[in-house]
Amino acid sequence: MSGSVGIAACGVAAPSWRVAANDIRAAWGGKAKGTVAVCAPDEDPLTLAWSAAVAAMRSGGLDADAIGGLWWGTTRAPFAEGPSHAYLCAALGLSSGVRGALLSGSAHAGVDALLAAADAVVAGSVTTALVVASDALVPGLGTAFEARCGAGSAAFILSATGAAVVRASATHTAPVVDRYRGDREEATRDLYDARLFREEVFVPHVTEVALMLDLPDDARWSLPDPDGRLGAVVARRLGTSAVSSASAYEILGDTGAAAPLLGLIPALASTGPAGAVVYGGGRTTGVAFDVAAPIAGAGNLAVHGREVSYADVLRARGQLVPSGETVEMGLPPGGAAFVRGNPEMMGLLGGRCVDCGVISTPPSIHPHCVGCGGPKLEPVELARQGTVHTYVVNHAMPAPFEAPLALAVIDLDDGARLMVQATDPEGIEIGALVELVLRRYAVERGVPVYGFKTRATKLSNDPTE
Amino acid sequence: MWNRVAVVGAGLIKFGELFDQSYEQMAAGAFKAASEAVDHDFDPSLIDAAFVATQRGTLWGQEGVGGNTVPSAIGLSGIPCTRIENACPSGSDAFRVGAMAVASGVHDVVLVIGVEKMRDKSTEEGLLARAAAGHPIYTRGETAPVLFAPFATRHMHEFGTTREMLAAVAVKNHHNGALDPYAHFQDEVTLEQVLASPPVCHPLHLLDCCPQTDGAAAAILVPADRAHEFTDKPVYVAGFGVATDHPYLHEKSTFVGLPATVAASQRAYDMAGLGPADIDMAEVHDCFTITEILDIEDLGFVEKGKGGRAVLDGETALDGRIPINTSGGLLAKGHPIGATGVAQITECWWQLREEAGDRQVALRNGVALQHNVGGRGSGVSVVNILTRNLA
Repeated sequence: MSGSVGIAACGVAAPSWRVAANDIRAAWGGKAKGTVAVCAPDEDPLTLAWSAAVAAMRSGGLDADAIGGLWWGTTRAPFAEGPSHAYLCAALGLSSGVRGALLSGSAHAGVDALLAAADAVVAGSVTTALVVASDALVPGLGTAFEARCGAGSAAFILSATGAAVVRASATHTAPVVDRYRGDREEATRDLYDARLFREEVFVPHVTEVALMLDLPDDARWSLPDPDGRLGAVVARRLGTSAVSSASAYEILGDTGAAAPLLGLIPALASTGPAGAVVYGGGRTTGVAFDVAAPIAGAGNLAVHGREVSYADVLRARGQLVPSGETVEMGLPPGGAAFVRGNPEMMGLLGGRCVDCGVISTPPSIHPHCVGCGGPKLEPVELARQGTVHTYVVNHAMPAPFEAPLALAVIDLDDGARLMVQATDPEGIEIGALVELVLRRYAVERGVPVYGFKTRATKLSNDPTE
Repeated sequence: MWNRVAVVGAGLIKFGELFDQSYEQMAAGAFKAASEAVDHDFDPSLIDAAFVATQRGTLWGQEGVGGNTVPSAIGLSGIPCTRIENACPSGSDAFRVGAMAVASGVHDVVLVIGVEKMRDKSTEEGLLARAAAGHPIYTRGETAPVLFAPFATRHMHEFGTTREMLAAVAVKNHHNGALDPYAHFQDEVTLEQVLASPPVCHPLHLLDCCPQTDGAAAAILVPADRAHEFTDKPVYVAGFGVATDHPYLHEKSTFVGLPATVAASQRAYDMAGLGPADIDMAEVHDCFTITEILDIEDLGFVEKGKGGRAVLDGETALDGRIPINTSGGLLAKGHPIGATGVAQITECWWQLREEAGDRQVALRNGVALQHNVGGRGSGVSVVNILTRNLA
């Protein structure tokens, strides 16, 4: 790297559920320590990526218009083939001419996104790049990896003036099979031979690449840790105890493609050298940084989350399903209603009446104003905060809905009114302050459907302290 | 000025889960009941037009119900017949359209019939599947109780309405239903049973909700000046009104009332030259307990915010100041959607003819009101007013 690109701001997102690793292992006759983060049924790598990206843009004081490209790394894009990148751009309000790429294929994808974005900034093809790494792997049932498998996301704003300057990178590639998922497989398989992987692949390659970065002794390290022990082995080889990624693994578990970037977040909070190394899919890559000033949005990860059972996790991941067929519902997500509706649902658009000022939502079903009936409406982006006017908690619903499900009528700060689902049925009351967050509403006929839900501001799941 | 219209026959079949009857058999039963209720021998071939209310035919296993299904089922194939679909007020709107057909002078003897099969499909496939109908996001999770429960939450917040007040509606209507041989439910419930029933959609519990019911009801309309050919005790149409409001809940201007009900009733009162104080009894839309509280306020029987207290104090009981839902209402009699409005008309007809048996209320003015509200966002309301007086 020529030194003309650096991280200017960052953001983090964690899913709302936590499960004790021991609950998972106990079901298979084993034991484990700690907890891992898991997506609730309405969360996935896209909603996590949205949350982290919004946090990074806020930290950097950037509007969506300022972003020239989005590079997103995940092993679990919501569409294995399809409009994943376009959906995320729409939800973030990025321009329709935005550049970038979706990188996938292994846990290496997060660093792939970082380096591709850095190259684009250095080359001058974008001025400001948004990098997001997010993941929520679905582990094979009964694998040792299952109790380690977490979820999370990290996002960086890259620019020529970013204070965490990219100094160098190094990579090593080898055609070996370790953690993988076949083309038509649902779940990720575990290492096929733990000792072979450790002795011949992981430890030598990660150590070699880390040393190639030639960082000084006081560097902080984000190191991969696929089994809870290998990270420490590499740290000993490097002669360091400054492992900034330890807390991310401890709090969230192994977050796949997001892990190397999440592990860097605490190191970006103070000045000095830092390095991040990733292993995934036979490739090992390291990136060296010189943090010239604390980065906005960086800090220690906070422990928030609702504790759930192993059965909840299995159901949310689609690994525990009721017998019989669920009733097919709703509109086909490939149909015209979604072509019209997706931009305005994911962009949270309304139409403001030129005559009376009332906002009608969404625009496609409101050619006339709901306030005065007037025909002149101008498109507006809705406010993202408001208060609860009234609500219900639905207890009687067919699968795939899960009760209790709260629905809230909210008065947004700009005067618009919305009725949407609430993420927290226990925290809702009239007058409560809420914010809107992107969630996965359903998987309809195999297709994810996204929209905004309310979340009580006082329960805000801010993942950094 | 419109030609006045008389109701000379009305009737229904016993409501319930009628697994043993087809849509067509229910229609034939209701037609027979209305025909036999005509005082003088009635010749069905006199019927020169029919209006059929069926709301959910295409969802409830009656794919493609058109105007021809019912005439064929009642032995009158060939007559002009139109299906009316206007959400929960489908039956009351079919009555209004039938009355207009007679008032216009185009038709003489008109059959209005409501028929609904709610239970040929499972709950999951029927009512609950609407949880994902409509807009992809803004209505997702919106089962039927979600259309009314937010009004309960807000009414409780603004006026101090309590779950006991809601429950008092169910207790009253189940009491009335136990006196109505046509009601789906024939048992009384206690306040404690209503309060202890399982939650369906907070703050509404199971006994705050009407059941899913199959049923059919019919009425026969003729020009007022021919009424005495058919009957000794005619009941006349005094007025009617329809109103609409925005279809989505987030478009509502208020969550403590239903503006469509206010506007529909004002139009009906104006047409009849009457006001709420002139009404002796009313059959109103009580799909949920909160709905009846909103109704009696929006129809002008009780001051806004005091509906719950009025029910708890017995003002709407059979012997109260303004008896409401003497038939048991949707809560106890049932809510076969297309049939509901026509069955309410039948109850008003019986009350005005003083044929309601143990449910008979004292008549002061000989005027009764019938009301439905529904559809997405409770955005459609119909009010019909009946009278014994041809003033």
